[in-house]
Amino acid sequence: MAGEIGIVETKAVIKLIIEKYGIDFSDYALTSFKQRIERIIDLYNLKYSDILINRLNDDAAFFEYFLYEMAVPSTEMFRDPSFWRTLRDEVIPGIYRENGTAVKIWLPGSVSGDELFSIAIVLHELDLLEKSQIIVSCISKKHLEIMQSGLLNSSKLEVSTDNYIRANGMRQLSDYLVEENNNYYRDKRLIKNVSFFIQDVNCEPLPQNIKLVLFRNKMIYFNQVQQNRVIKNIHQAMGSGGILTIGIQEALGQFFGLTEFTALNEHESIYKRT
Amino acid sequence: MTNYKAIVIGGSAGSFQVVTKILSSLPQNFSLPVFLSLHRLKHVRSGFLEALSIKSKLSVIEPYDKEQIKAGKAYLAPANYHMYIELGNRIALSTEEPVHHSRPSIDLSFITAANAYRDKLIGIILSGANTDGALGLKHIKDYNGLTIVQDPSECQVRTMTEASLKHTAVDHVYKTDQIINFLNNLK
Repeated sequence: MAGEIGIVETKAVIKLIIEKYGIDFSDYALTSFKQRIERIIDLYNLKYSDILINRLNDDAAFFEYFLYEMAVPSTEMFRDPSFWRTLRDEVIPGIYRENGTAVKIWLPGSVSGDELFSIAIVLHELDLLEKSQIIVSCISKKHLEIMQSGLLNSSKLEVSTDNYIRANGMRQLSDYLVEENNNYYRDKRLIKNVSFFIQDVNCEPLPQNIKLVLFRNKMIYFNQVQQNRVIKNIHQAMGSGGILTIGIQEALGQFFGLTEFTALNEHESIYKRT
Repeated sequence: MTNYKAIVIGGSAGSFQVVTKILSSLPQNFSLPVFLSLHRLKHVRSGFLEALSIKSKLSVIEPYDKEQIKAGKAYLAPANYHMYIELGNRIALSTEEPVHHSRPSIDLSFITAANAYRDKLIGIILSGANTDGALGLKHIKDYNGLTIVQDPSECQVRTMTEASLKHTAVDHVYKTDQIINFLNNLK
């Protein structure tokens, strides 16, 4: 945290990105977005927001790095182990009982692949991975490349291993990891049937007939207008009876009304589309 | 009526009893919101809130993202989230990178609170074994908010308070009882 920028500068960055790249961040939550910009200025040693704006204006390749750094990666694999236990023991069996095979699972706004590999491992251990069609969307090509490489940020290794044990994983997390040049990579066979696409900030284009959505701790980076817009989109992409999971401290009710979703497990933030 | 609009408290090792004592000494109709950014175990979601609530007259909550801020409530940063004060009188949560190995980060709660409340904010740093909070407290002071540090001689672990005192010419160095008196006299 070096230099701090103000709201005026933050809005100037947002304006430039709309004009130059057609991507609209104006309904992102202001505090965290401002902080992401400060972080990028710091990381690339740009010193002032004016320099960042010029760089964004002149250098489309740099914009890809901006998109990459702007999105917040998930903190670890199997975050909230009790959520993963509930998902595996109570929610997933129900979904596959009702739907048989080719169950579509969507992870909108993915960044680092931690949730992706976590769900893939759960499904693999239940012998359901082959019966699933996992769809991942993200806003930057760089996110897509990182996820496809399987790279696990080494700072997440210890906490992810602890989480996996707490989530009652059936093997050892290290069974799914390969070490290469001091980096850990997750077993790519887990995602060989996963389809990836680039989405916009509203999670469009929308896939259809999704039975399970993992969208945990993504809405916190939006203001309520954007939250509302995105949840409506996700609702539309889900089939009736589909399951939506959001972050433990995220709320649906305050802006969308709970007639569209009913809480399946409030403590773990698991909802069912009515 | 006091000129202040909010209180933000940061603490780590050794701060639990102090926070409990403060919460048990403030009246139920306390006129300001209190933000608690306290280091805690990342993977333990429940228990901490309940323990803090036992003797508190204020209702203590772990806020949902974008929850509206109300006077007389104590907002505890949830496990494994940063807690920010967002414009529009709301709380925002974040899973951004840890700061000083901490999430919640005291610095980030203090900085965002200072940006929102400017000189109408009181920042308090309690016992702790880390330098988190020192930068945030300085930020509050830079905006002419009021800064208080728990007297290091009373702290179970002095690292956090001493780091804050080194960074900032704080307004008051108080023992727990003095902090409580001060807050109760704000009315």
